[in-house]
Amino acid sequence: MSGEEKGARLHEGSPLSAEESLALIERQRREVHRRLAVNVAQFYGPWGVAYLLGFGAIFLTYPTAVAVRLPAAVAVAITAVLFASAVVITAVTGARAGRGIRGPSRAAGAMYGWSWALGFCALGVVNTGVTRLGLPNDAVTLLWSGSSLLLVGVLYLGGGALFQDRFQYGLGVWMLLSGAGSVFAGVPGNFAVVALAGGGGLLLAAGYFALRPARPRR
Amino acid sequence: MSALEAPPGLDPVIHAQARLRVMVALAALPTEDQITFPRLQQLLDMTAGNLSTHLRKLEDASYVQLTKTYQRRTPVTYIALTKPGRRAFEDYTAALRILLTPQTEQPGG
Repeated sequence: MSGEEKGARLHEGSPLSAEESLALIERQRREVHRRLAVNVAQFYGPWGVAYLLGFGAIFLTYPTAVAVRLPAAVAVAITAVLFASAVVITAVTGARAGRGIRGPSRAAGAMYGWSWALGFCALGVVNTGVTRLGLPNDAVTLLWSGSSLLLVGVLYLGGGALFQDRFQYGLGVWMLLSGAGSVFAGVPGNFAVVALAGGGGLLLAAGYFALRPARPRR
Repeated sequence: MSALEAPPGLDPVIHAQARLRVMVALAALPTEDQITFPRLQQLLDMTAGNLSTHLRKLEDASYVQLTKTYQRRTPVTYIALTKPGRRAFEDYTAALRILLTPQTEQPGG
């Protein structure tokens, strides 16, 4: 039988041979996984850009070895816009990920998504409360950069466990190290650590996942 | 055996191109997850009429469960594989592999 005849017969839905059937199962399984999979590069990419450029801009408002100096207002504006964009992009991507599907996996994904929002709200309250007691400016800066990366790292550890993704778990460990490193780097070195190690790490992860073939969700 | 006949020992409910594709898509979902009719239709690139026909046959065999509900007053149908359905699909793929395993020749056969 020619390939053309075979194709026509398959299209009509006529009985399949065992070989054709097994091939169809494999092809269809791969296709469904490809369409259902969420590429985490879509999550890491926007945050990587926001960290690298946003905190990079803040670093450049300080007198450093780098010749460029940015006005504080410009750096804050850049950071605010990049972070707001990253929040919107990842929230929309997350909400769209399991559209048309309900059940335990969808519930787990939604709870994980909300962990980010809840975690950062609580972090904001705690850090603002501590800051009100009166801390030196540098301590406030280090508190925010260190605790933010700590929370990001812990959430990636949780994501790695939930989605059975060792790479994401490893990224979490890297974020914990970056957070600790940022505190010991002092001001303004902490911004360089967050931008390069944090943002750079996220962009490398995004590149890795963009190039890696999509994984099944199970 | 002619190439056009279904090999013996295979579940005739599953052993048809369109229904097999539906079963594969539902089996690919994480266990206990359900999918809406339009999303399944989109995953499979099938017409609504075609998909309903095959879903009815699979439902008659108790392989899939259709749950009708409302979301913001719009009727929504969720589809999931039943436990017997998942088992039937696993048995079917196991039967295919056995059929394709080279048999040792019987002497004088």
